[in-house]
Amino acid sequence: MERFELIVIGAGPAGLSAAIEAASCGMSVIVFDENTRPGGQLFKQIHKFFGSKEHKAKERGFNIGKNLLNEAEELGVRVELDSTVMGIFRNKEISVMKNDSVKHFKGNSIVIATGASENMVPFKGWTLPGVIGAGAAQTMMNIHGIKPGNRVLMVGSGNVGLVVGYQLIQAGCILEAIIDAAPRVGGYGVHAAKLARIGVPFYMSHTIKLAQGIDRVEGAIIVEVDKSWKPVSGSEKTLEVDTICIAVGLSPMSQLVRLAGCKTLDDPKKGGIVPLCNEYGETSISGIYAAGDVAGIEEASSAMIQGKIAGAAASKDQGYISEDEFKARQKKLENSLLQLREGMFGHKSTAQVTHTDEGYELSHSLLKKGYISDTELSHYPGIPTEDDLKDGLVPVIECTQNIPCNPCQDACPKGCIKVGDNITNLPSIETSVKCSGCGMCVVSCSGQAIFLVKQNHSPGYGLVSLPYEFSPLPDVGDIGYALDRLGNVVSKAEVISIKKTPVMDETAVLTMKVPSNLTMKARFFKPAMKEEKII
Amino acid sequence: MYRIKEHPILKSFQKGRLVKFEFDGNVMEGFEGEPISVALKANGVMVHRYTKKHSQPRGVFCSIGRCTDCVMIVDGQTNVRTCITPLAEGMKIETQYGVLNKR
Repeated sequence: MERFELIVIGAGPAGLSAAIEAASCGMSVIVFDENTRPGGQLFKQIHKFFGSKEHKAKERGFNIGKNLLNEAEELGVRVELDSTVMGIFRNKEISVMKNDSVKHFKGNSIVIATGASENMVPFKGWTLPGVIGAGAAQTMMNIHGIKPGNRVLMVGSGNVGLVVGYQLIQAGCILEAIIDAAPRVGGYGVHAAKLARIGVPFYMSHTIKLAQGIDRVEGAIIVEVDKSWKPVSGSEKTLEVDTICIAVGLSPMSQLVRLAGCKTLDDPKKGGIVPLCNEYGETSISGIYAAGDVAGIEEASSAMIQGKIAGAAASKDQGYISEDEFKARQKKLENSLLQLREGMFGHKSTAQVTHTDEGYELSHSLLKKGYISDTELSHYPGIPTEDDLKDGLVPVIECTQNIPCNPCQDACPKGCIKVGDNITNLPSIETSVKCSGCGMCVVSCSGQAIFLVKQNHSPGYGLVSLPYEFSPLPDVGDIGYALDRLGNVVSKAEVISIKKTPVMDETAVLTMKVPSNLTMKARFFKPAMKEEKII
Repeated sequence: MYRIKEHPILKSFQKGRLVKFEFDGNVMEGFEGEPISVALKANGVMVHRYTKKHSQPRGVFCSIGRCTDCVMIVDGQTNVRTCITPLAEGMKIETQYGVLNKR
């Protein structure tokens, strides 16, 4: 039996962060993970993360994963892969299965960071090949480079459904629709808007009734549900899809926590059965900590902070850092965690928020259909007035919900954008400062909600600059279509410039020429098919 | 048909060399080291097995080795999770019926 000062179970964002924090304090640390690759789900996350700089905002998940692994390696953390922790006993002893043999390890402290598993929704035909979890779609396309299908229905409009839906399109699939039994889009409005403007229809208050097909999915029937979640007969729609992707939430993987004998509670707000933890993540058993999704479903950024707190606490327990040093570290981390939990999607909020913290009414259209309607748009502080638009180039920030994110504020070298100290504030624009048109705000916005608009560029025409993350990248001079926020073609458009530099991290800024009166409507460029004639 | 040729964010996917394997007697190609299920998908195979009682088709579901829906017979061994088992040259992969290789 080998002994370590800290045993970490799970090499995802929480586990690796705990290991790094503890190893940096001088502890001997070993991490076990049942998968062949470390990083948990981080390497499947190819979108830019939210938060502030200290939360690694605007970095893509897989790059955050790479950095965590490098850090762990530099600190001498031992990471054992293909290793399933199958037992956890008194005195912090565990049994680990690797290659069909079992070994025992003992730790002074243990951090359980086993993450979460996907929830499922059963319906007729749900066992057919072609019905997959959203995580499966990510694994196939973002790790192994294979499309899960060609035409996909996404069930679930939470952030997972929205983000994976967008990634499916980036991989070259057609997303036929997003449905959700709830009446409102569950995830961030900015994620929904990215899909709506490409033309993906949102069916809220709809559930899946049936997957069609004999030995694989050949279609799906969806149906509207009423207020008591009952199907409305006659409202069925048939969608031609070969893949049905399920994204209906996650549940903590708390089996090891229970096996260890930690006290648990069933907390629907945290996604299911979670260990009872103190503020440092310590369970009812002294020296056993829980961090990340296993302690309550959140996201990777908060998991990393929770991991650090647990790692620091274990270091303090074993005398590697003083009580004062720990308190100082913990306070900083706690503040950082609280920032992420603020806002309408945070821990404390209820599902029926009607106004932003600033008192602006939420966009109903965004919550129902995935895009902000023209009439609602002007209410928000990131939207320029008609007078501002006459002046020349201005940023347009279509960020209308309190989500914890502020990279746009630092991105502008001129100081045109203000979020303030509270990172969930809606960004506002400072129109007295001249926008230089550098596009850094456009690429820094993880929600792709910032555009640059110049209403009068040449007689009758204006310019719209937008973030573009699809292949192939159009060329300057290409003619295509301008789509509005709901994905309808509003005019033809010409690509005037494409800006893409290493610092933009694969997000290009595409500037298109559209009629002046459409500069506040056109939000996406759709390239024309090869032989297509544009009228 | 299913392999991603061009991706806007991920420039390339790490792949081993192209190798031949056998699926229910047919010779197919896939990349060494990638999950068997990925190589099968690239060849258009969706059904991995049929259930024992009702003979219903099953394929990839979770893709991370958790749900066991994708198990097949690999080199004579039944119940192999194809979504996390790496492809090797000359592998003999069979559709699983219950726990057998034929109906």
